[in-house]
Amino acid sequence: MSNVDILLVILRVSFGAFVPLCFIAVLVWMERRGAGFFQDRSGPNRANIFGFRAAGLVQNLADAAKLIFKEDVVPGHIKHKFYFIFAPAIVFFTAVASFAVVPFADTLVIGDKSYVMQAIPTDVGILWFLALAGFAVYGIILAGWASTNKYGMLGGLRAAAQVISYEIPMGLALVSLLAVYGTVNLSEMAQFQGQLLFGFIPMWGVILQPLGLIIFVVAAFAEANRTPFDLAEGESELVAGFHVEYSAMKFAVFFMGEYVAMFTSSAIIVTLFFGGYQIPWLNTETLVVYAKPVAVVLMLLLPVLMYYFAGWIRKSNVSHYDRPNDPRRREAAVYIKILWGVVAIMELILLAILLSPSGGVATRIFVAELQIATFLLKTTLMCFVYVWVRWTLPRFRYDQLQKLGWQTLLPLSLLNIFITGAVVVAVS
Amino acid sequence: MSAKVKVVKRKGDTLPEKLYLVEVLKGMKTSFGHFWRNLRDNSRLYVRHYPEQQPEITPRWRGRHRLTTHEDGSIKCVACFMCQTNCPSRCIMIEAGERLDDRDEKLPVRFDIDLLECIYCGYCVEACPKDAIRMDTGIFSLVEHNREKMLVGLDELAATPGAFTEDDYQKRGL
Amino acid sequence: MAEMIKLFVNGEEVEVESGKNLIDAVGAVGIEIPHFCYHPALGADGNCRMCLVGIEDGRPPLVPACKTPAAEGMKVQLDTDKIKKIQRDMMEFELINHPIDCPVCDQAGECTLQDYYMTYDGVSSRMNVEQVKKAKKLDFGGGVVHDQERCVLCGRCVRFCRQITKTGELGIVNRTDSARVDIFPGRPLNNRYALNVVDLCPVGAMTSADFRFKQRVWFLKKDEGICHGCSKGCNIFIDHNREKYKDDTIYRFRPRHNDQVNGYFICDEGRLSHKKENEGRLLESLKNGKPYNLTESYVLAQKAITNAENVLILVSPNLPLEQLVATQVFAQKIGASLSGYSDGYIVKGDGDDFLIQDDKAANRKGLELLGINTGGDFFWDSLEKAECFICIDNELPAVDTKRLIKALRETKVIALSSHHFNLVDQAFVAIPVASFSEYGGSIINCDGVLQSFQAAVVKNTPIADVTEVLRRLGGPLSSAPEVLAAIHRVEGPLAKVDFNRIPAEGLKL
Repeated sequence: MSNVDILLVILRVSFGAFVPLCFIAVLVWMERRGAGFFQDRSGPNRANIFGFRAAGLVQNLADAAKLIFKEDVVPGHIKHKFYFIFAPAIVFFTAVASFAVVPFADTLVIGDKSYVMQAIPTDVGILWFLALAGFAVYGIILAGWASTNKYGMLGGLRAAAQVISYEIPMGLALVSLLAVYGTVNLSEMAQFQGQLLFGFIPMWGVILQPLGLIIFVVAAFAEANRTPFDLAEGESELVAGFHVEYSAMKFAVFFMGEYVAMFTSSAIIVTLFFGGYQIPWLNTETLVVYAKPVAVVLMLLLPVLMYYFAGWIRKSNVSHYDRPNDPRRREAAVYIKILWGVVAIMELILLAILLSPSGGVATRIFVAELQIATFLLKTTLMCFVYVWVRWTLPRFRYDQLQKLGWQTLLPLSLLNIFITGAVVVAVS
Repeated sequence: MSAKVKVVKRKGDTLPEKLYLVEVLKGMKTSFGHFWRNLRDNSRLYVRHYPEQQPEITPRWRGRHRLTTHEDGSIKCVACFMCQTNCPSRCIMIEAGERLDDRDEKLPVRFDIDLLECIYCGYCVEACPKDAIRMDTGIFSLVEHNREKMLVGLDELAATPGAFTEDDYQKRGL
Repeated sequence: MAEMIKLFVNGEEVEVESGKNLIDAVGAVGIEIPHFCYHPALGADGNCRMCLVGIEDGRPPLVPACKTPAAEGMKVQLDTDKIKKIQRDMMEFELINHPIDCPVCDQAGECTLQDYYMTYDGVSSRMNVEQVKKAKKLDFGGGVVHDQERCVLCGRCVRFCRQITKTGELGIVNRTDSARVDIFPGRPLNNRYALNVVDLCPVGAMTSADFRFKQRVWFLKKDEGICHGCSKGCNIFIDHNREKYKDDTIYRFRPRHNDQVNGYFICDEGRLSHKKENEGRLLESLKNGKPYNLTESYVLAQKAITNAENVLILVSPNLPLEQLVATQVFAQKIGASLSGYSDGYIVKGDGDDFLIQDDKAANRKGLELLGINTGGDFFWDSLEKAECFICIDNELPAVDTKRLIKALRETKVIALSSHHFNLVDQAFVAIPVASFSEYGGSIINCDGVLQSFQAAVVKNTPIADVTEVLRRLGGPLSSAPEVLAAIHRVEGPLAKVDFNRIPAEGLKL
């Protein structure tokens, strides 16, 4: 193995491990500020370091510090301490590990070697995700059972029944999708979606399988235990459900696991239905060919976007009450300077791309970077949908939840398989 | 069925409503409208920037208690225990003593209110035959580092001034 | 049982005892006739006019109920408009010059005037002239504070001093709205029953200096008890209250009616003895006068008892029969001599012919009936022999101190006591026990009346009574039925008494 090999292995694994972790902070922030804006409040905006509140991101640091230094209580009535402590670890680990098979850029070709841009370059692909997502619920059941608490127990049971119900439509929705793509490998699926339908529509999963998308998204929400399917927590009737006995970092690990799961399932949805890392109409080969024009467009677009963004910051980051010598305006000025600095650096990088020979390693890395950025952007938007749905829809009743799973989604997914099968057979 | 019964058609029977998904999207449109509005212009959020912006306290607001005094500074309370008797949370603790000025026979030598137990119902104010206890200090935010400090005594209660003019206070119920 | 007669009240037939006046007769069947001046112990005076009732077809048609004996077939009217108007007018008259300072009046809550205003009056005053000002806060002596403005001039206090104590310190001076109760110059109330006027006064004119402003009466829990101040065993109400964040405290004793023992009154000394229940109490165990762990104290006491050849137990004559018998059984078990020597409790010449007795011990008769030796010679002989001396709540008043010190030189003293006194503070081990307001039991008074009483006060950290302490020291009796069985084993009149069914007014043995 050459040094490049080792470097790329390290890069890919660290991307697969750390990006979900970083996104915990982003998602918590997005959830809380998003909730605020959805409800005409402002969300967390007070915690600061030397007056810098980073739009509320500093609140996450404060929360983390609090959770780390809180007393870690293991209630006296708990008999199986090992399982009690092990349960949050399962939830967290499965969520992080299931991201490992998601491709975040097209296969990188350096010299005569190609590198699959996945943390674990395996062919099992979507099956790995299904297996681990199903396994995550063991953590919840174990937590509920080990808590020796009736609320915890009920929460765990609810989660178990819910996951069983929704894994079936989810799996069936995938079956029709697999019939279309003809592969279980997520990398190949993403590449497949780089094609164009009738020459002008990107051949994304959402175009080919609209019904499959709806079924899969609903089931994915249920699998991630997010509203409107978060009956396992059900604070109105179960206090906090399966994590009612958990405190401090053990609770935080559940919480982080939930957000990682949300990120991972967003990434899977994006990969399966929204073209993964593909930029519409610009698949990898096209990008490599047109790298320089794209760079030029970006060079022009970046300052314009930054100009409007700076204006928005200047307008938003002020105190909304009578305050002489408003420190938030100074804060905003600092942010804008920093961001202009970032833009300048990016311009320099783009310039370097322009000056480098076309079709070389630099171009390919540039393309990979563009794809990574596209992938993360799409995933973030999908995460936003999660947040959006959470603050729009009320929670289901438990019988409604089961009814939806068995009486609606299951027949629909079966129907989808038949239609897809017929079409696939007809086309081939 | 009598004439007064009004039959209201049950909502949610049309096909798009039964499909649920359409209604979900409508709801998401509404909530996104709020999100987008607030994202673009966060000056229109329905929030008060507490503590920089303090709420306006009306004379009817029941804040922390105080004991009123006569013009010469002597306390109006005669330790009749009506407030303590009426207090549903039993947070008032009075000790009575002999009063030596000419106003009355009795006065409180100890008058403690446990603000942690107080539920701010205002029964003490209504029960007082001497208008000696009022909740018009306008103090609504009470924070201390230990429980003992939440026990306010006679001196503090008598020293706190009212937040309103006598006229405003008397008119509060009207 | 007196002869029963039938009469009609408001048209309804009731059966009452004959030979009583109307207030008592119909009061016994639960019909109240309002009155200020009448008191069963003081007799009818007829000055307040509040008890005027109508007699249908009677001559005269309007009579004061207190002066009218109940007669067969009498038709008493209480709810006619005329009677109601009379009652309302009487109330208005009483309230003309009443200061209505209920907020500062100690009587508020048990005030007849307040109650009658709510029941029979309930209208606002029509007076628009200045009220007559009279003296307030007059010190009458004997712990009685008088407020002339509140007085309704019923004269109960005056009659009490004339008829009951026969001292006659009080009188009503002047006439009409200048009339007031007063003492004669330089002659304060100084009889030993003076504080009874506070209870007799239907309004707040007479207040007790001791209880003044201590508590509002509606906070007090009124439990029945028996005064342990002397061998009379007067029936009392123990008025106590647990204030927030504080301990259960007794604020006053009030007499409780019992014709067989004390009638309607108690003496001032007994009334003020409630202070002794709160003050000077031994609350924690001591070793050589210093606070010591309770459990360890039991161990020390037990060791001292087992190691000693001769043990003398001295009991207090105040203890109830139950605790005495528990001690007796305990003494038999460990082979100790048991003495009830308590000559010091008798104060010669202190008693009178009304309630106060020479003997200040509450249960001396019980001591005798149980056959406990009370002789002085036996006590001193045993004490000199004893290696361990257990003193159970006996404060050894008026005992030859020098002789005691000499006798106790080589002796280990174990004191079980409810209060601090010299012996307790010098004892090897002192263990606190409950005082009489904190336990229940039975005592026999000087006239041989057996009375039982229940625990009234429950301290935040309850103190064990003597029976319980002795059980922990190895005593054989552990439950109430066992104790009663032990009493029944004693020869004599106690053997047949059913202790669970002692009547409220006591059982004359």
